[in-house]
Amino acid sequence: MKKKTVGKTRHVVAWMNKAEYEHVLEYLFSKEPALQKHALHRISAWKGRFGQSTPVAVDSTADLVRCQVLDSTGQLEANDLVLLYGMALVRFVNLITERQQKRVARPLRRLAGNINIPEWVVNLRHDLTHRRLPSLKWCRKGCGFVLDWLHQEYWSRQMGSQLTEDWNSSSEEEDEEEFAKRHEEEQLRRQKEIEAHKKVRELLISYEREQFQTYEELAKQRGVWPDASADLSWILTQIKHFATEARDVLIDVLMQDGFLIPTAEQLESLDIDPSEDSVDMFAPCLPQVFLHFWLPCLKVLNSSIFINLILDKLFAELSNEPSSHRTYYIASWISEILLCNSKSELKAHKRLKISKERIFMNRLQFPWQNLISTCVNAPCPATPFLLRQILSDMDKPLPHDAQQNLLRLCSIYTQGYHENTSPGPSDPTQPVYTLQNLQDRLKSNTHSSNHAPRSVQAPPTEDLQEKLSAETVQERNFALRGSAWSVCTDKVPWKQYPLGKVPGQPEDPSCLMVECYSTFTVFDQQVELDQLPQHHGNRSGPLQSRAGGADGPLWTHSDLSKLKAGLQLF
Amino acid sequence: MTMKVHKVSSWSQHEQRNTTKRHGKNKWRKKIHSLDSTLLSTSVGTANLEQLIPKREKPTLKLLKKLYTKPIPENSCAEERKVMATSVTFAHVHTNGGTELDDRNSSVDSQEWSEYAKCVLQNGMESSTLPKTNQMEEDGLHFHAHFDHTHNRAVLVMKQGQVLCFRGKCLLTCLYGHVEVLGFTIEEGQQPYPLFSPPSHCPLTITALGNNAPSGKNKKEGLLEAKAIVRKYLSSEPSKKLMSELDSDSCVVLLEPLDTPLTRFLTSFSELSEIFGLNSKELKSQAAVYNPVLSAVGVTALRGPCAQGLVMSRSYREAISSLLSAWAGEFDRCPIILVCGGKSSGKSTFNRHLINSLLHANVEYLECDLGQTEFTPPGCLSLSTVTEPLLGPPFTHLRDPEHMVYYGQADCQADIDRYLESLKSIWRHVNGESPVIINTMGWIRGHGFQILVDLIRLFSVTHVVQLSFGNAPQCQLLTPDFLRTAHGWQTHPPTPPTLTEEPVSHLSIRSHVFLSVQSEFEGAGTSGEMQHQRSNELRDLALLSYFSKLQSPEPGPIRPLHCFIPYQVPHSAVAIGVTHCEVAPNNILYVSNASIVGLCCLSEKVVGREGPVVLSQTPICQCVGLGVLRGVDMARGLYFLVTPVSPSVLRHVNCLLLGEITLPKILLTKQHGVEGDLPYVTTDYSFEVQGAGKLHIYKGLARPGFIKSTN
Repeated sequence: MKKKTVGKTRHVVAWMNKAEYEHVLEYLFSKEPALQKHALHRISAWKGRFGQSTPVAVDSTADLVRCQVLDSTGQLEANDLVLLYGMALVRFVNLITERQQKRVARPLRRLAGNINIPEWVVNLRHDLTHRRLPSLKWCRKGCGFVLDWLHQEYWSRQMGSQLTEDWNSSSEEEDEEEFAKRHEEEQLRRQKEIEAHKKVRELLISYEREQFQTYEELAKQRGVWPDASADLSWILTQIKHFATEARDVLIDVLMQDGFLIPTAEQLESLDIDPSEDSVDMFAPCLPQVFLHFWLPCLKVLNSSIFINLILDKLFAELSNEPSSHRTYYIASWISEILLCNSKSELKAHKRLKISKERIFMNRLQFPWQNLISTCVNAPCPATPFLLRQILSDMDKPLPHDAQQNLLRLCSIYTQGYHENTSPGPSDPTQPVYTLQNLQDRLKSNTHSSNHAPRSVQAPPTEDLQEKLSAETVQERNFALRGSAWSVCTDKVPWKQYPLGKVPGQPEDPSCLMVECYSTFTVFDQQVELDQLPQHHGNRSGPLQSRAGGADGPLWTHSDLSKLKAGLQLF
Repeated sequence: MTMKVHKVSSWSQHEQRNTTKRHGKNKWRKKIHSLDSTLLSTSVGTANLEQLIPKREKPTLKLLKKLYTKPIPENSCAEERKVMATSVTFAHVHTNGGTELDDRNSSVDSQEWSEYAKCVLQNGMESSTLPKTNQMEEDGLHFHAHFDHTHNRAVLVMKQGQVLCFRGKCLLTCLYGHVEVLGFTIEEGQQPYPLFSPPSHCPLTITALGNNAPSGKNKKEGLLEAKAIVRKYLSSEPSKKLMSELDSDSCVVLLEPLDTPLTRFLTSFSELSEIFGLNSKELKSQAAVYNPVLSAVGVTALRGPCAQGLVMSRSYREAISSLLSAWAGEFDRCPIILVCGGKSSGKSTFNRHLINSLLHANVEYLECDLGQTEFTPPGCLSLSTVTEPLLGPPFTHLRDPEHMVYYGQADCQADIDRYLESLKSIWRHVNGESPVIINTMGWIRGHGFQILVDLIRLFSVTHVVQLSFGNAPQCQLLTPDFLRTAHGWQTHPPTPPTLTEEPVSHLSIRSHVFLSVQSEFEGAGTSGEMQHQRSNELRDLALLSYFSKLQSPEPGPIRPLHCFIPYQVPHSAVAIGVTHCEVAPNNILYVSNASIVGLCCLSEKVVGREGPVVLSQTPICQCVGLGVLRGVDMARGLYFLVTPVSPSVLRHVNCLLLGEITLPKILLTKQHGVEGDLPYVTTDYSFEVQGAGKLHIYKGLARPGFIKSTN
């Protein structure tokens, strides 16, 4: 029931998780050579994992950052650096535009233009390949620009990151003044918001006060709620006016405790029992009095945009897992709104007697599919109840099966409300977490009320976890005896640990860093041609290659490179 | 055109003559027998000339086919033709007596032969047109089989010459007579053989060769025997129809469903559920023949143009037959056969066919192709001793090689020296008593070609089979003449080319026999486009097949890789290295975690002080198999490894090599039973973003001629 994207395809990437990606992203663009170097080392491992499918952008970024790191050491001369920068820049321009090439070669300038790479970068590339080498200054400038481009176009957009704004604020080119200005604007905006909040609170409190007075009078006379008094009307006009100006703020405030969510005090003064025992968490319903209390206010606000927004907000609040009291009232309001919109008008009339008691009259169009997903994304005890309301109200109802399945899943997740017949789970001590639990649950449901003790229940027939008998382990360890290898005998439920994960492994992206390691060099690995077995011995004459003897050098090129590789200078 | 048709009909007049087509090969054998290097260039010329002949006749066949609304599958009439004593004689075919080799080879029959035969047949009954041929088609495709429900197996009766071209998999036992599959003859009394015909490759055909050992038995006895066998294998009385189909020349085979850890593991992935089904082309042309008995054992018979099976050109058959005779002792050395050719030119199939044909003794197989390996997972160079026939594509018959080196990449361009050195180190393990078949890469240009030259010299190859397709060969022909002056990557011609006079005779003693084979199957030279045919998919299948060995042989749940209890080894006890790129040593575990590692054995002892032991360069050492480094315990300094390699072999492993051979993606993305996020798997990666894709290489980017370069 958690947000899980079902339809998206799973891609295999080189980073273990998003944290590792962001870690590298942060270090790459940190402008701190030591951190950049750290990131480059990690990317070397990524390239090992990706092999030939390393993303072009990752490759290019690493090359360019490497240039910056080497530049920062101050040990290389300007001419060295031009060559380094040059290769990285040429590769970037060529590789990044390669995707756009079709059968016939098109000018790089145009291809680059399509992806917001300015002409001067392309010209820089042409200078590097065909003309006089540009100056180091130009190379640095080009590198800086391209890295910013990669940051914005690839790194910030990849992996679902929405960091584009951050990128703007950390942009190198941005000057102090600009930043101060933006900071000021930001502060101003915040100030305005706070003001608005204050004002709305005041308005709503005065509304509440007015309504409470009416209620007290009402309680004495035992009559019906009267039409709005002059004072109330004025307040309502104010609220309405405000709603058009700062709807979001209004909704925010309404959602706070003490407004749509009553405090215990408020409830008591409305003669409503605030204790939780008196309510059914699984089927929330607003107390009549409380509904009436807010009805005048909500009626002036009633517009389809407002209702949709408040519904969204209610669900959003619900998904934050608020206290049970809050949960109950939020769910009640959702239920109330859904009820007002109910298709079965007649039924609603019966319940509410007069249309006056409804927040709104005309049936609204809800984004039903979204509503279902927001509803299940905000699980609470009342979710099945709300879901049922939504399902029965949809313009194009889901197939019956789908409805049932959804409801059942929902009930399982929220641990309660089993149809109408058996409220509450059959055994609250056995929450359903896994398929196995569910099967057990189904079993116990079929043998209704026959609660077999857990130990008697049949063991799971299909367990994916490999189990080795003690003999097998012993046998294997015997075969491995004398070597460093052994069968892992830790009691680990391996099936819960995907490849690449072991028990106790932290999520920290640096968890696999090696602090110390030793280097191992293998000598004596080449095969002398002369030592090759003579097939059948009836070969005559010397072999044709190196055995030529005096004709060529004794060591071939490859021998020399092997020797060189084996040399250790320090 | 009319003249050619006439020519065809003239053959039919020779129908009664009792000569068989296999004699064509004898001529070849003779030729090779008398071969000497000075004649070689001319004989190559002849071969080319002869290759032209089938080509010339092609249009004729097409024309003839067009006379009928439906093309006639060769397995019907073609084989009947065989029974009726095929008497096609060519002006240039000698008619000497057959040898025992030819008996084994008569199955090496093909497309063209059957097409010739078809023409003859069609000419013979010109008046009988459509209805008759349809009748024949049905006859040919009607497979008389009976399913035994108690034992869950089927008995199939095939007329002599009948051909079953199929998709699917089964276990085949020959109960009576002989059948031939991909060059391998299965006789009664032999063990059951697994057959795999997945849509990734050319479909397999089972050809009934009949019963050619009637010595002492007359027809009636044979028939009785056959009937007794059929009854023995069926728990209920077989249908009369089945029994009436039987005669002494029939073949009776037992087909059983094939259910192995491999098939269970592969089909457990939804993406591969149809891996033993039909390919899209066959589905489109509705090539499946409905036969409930066959489908009950997992076999779908094919018909129409899809039911071609292996298409062997003339040069192909001639090459096979001359290689067979070389092994039969008519060549003075034990043959070392190097098979080369461009990508998708049919090397692999040719090798399998050749191995199957040579299998009366063991055959050694040196794998030099890193991408499409025959017996090992990709990225490995190996030497295998083959004792069992290869009746399916490579991923269905992975086996442990005699010796193996893990190169770590699917091609050798990155380090040609290490590639050649690795092969040399493997060559030391060749025993020298069996014929050796050397399979090579499809890389035949530039350095790839130089490598071929090296391989021929290094391993003193006796026969070079070069496969080509289309009108022009894909590269220079590797004739002995050419080798005299060719430069390899490591080897060079022995003497300066100016001194041509003297060394010729000296060289000719050791020069090889050159056999050029023209591949004529449909799609030669173009890599497969359909599902499961792409080279990376085949590599993944090979890896899945390799790791399917972890599954228990008994039927049971299919376990994902992460569910197996791993082996553990301390970081300091095994060296670890990356073969294909430079990785910062302190990040070595980032590249190795959840990756495939080659399990290698260094002769030196590996003793680290603390932490991983990182190799400074890639060693050339024996590899005993692959494993998945399923996790790293940083606290205790342990690697956890899952591998099908047996513990008695694993004990020798002290080096883990990482390569570019990556775990098939589905092994990472489908890990059932795991709660929470899967490492290295994301749904958030977007390929829409600029630069998100891998390096993209446009080959042959055309430069607009009229536009001046933008520079």
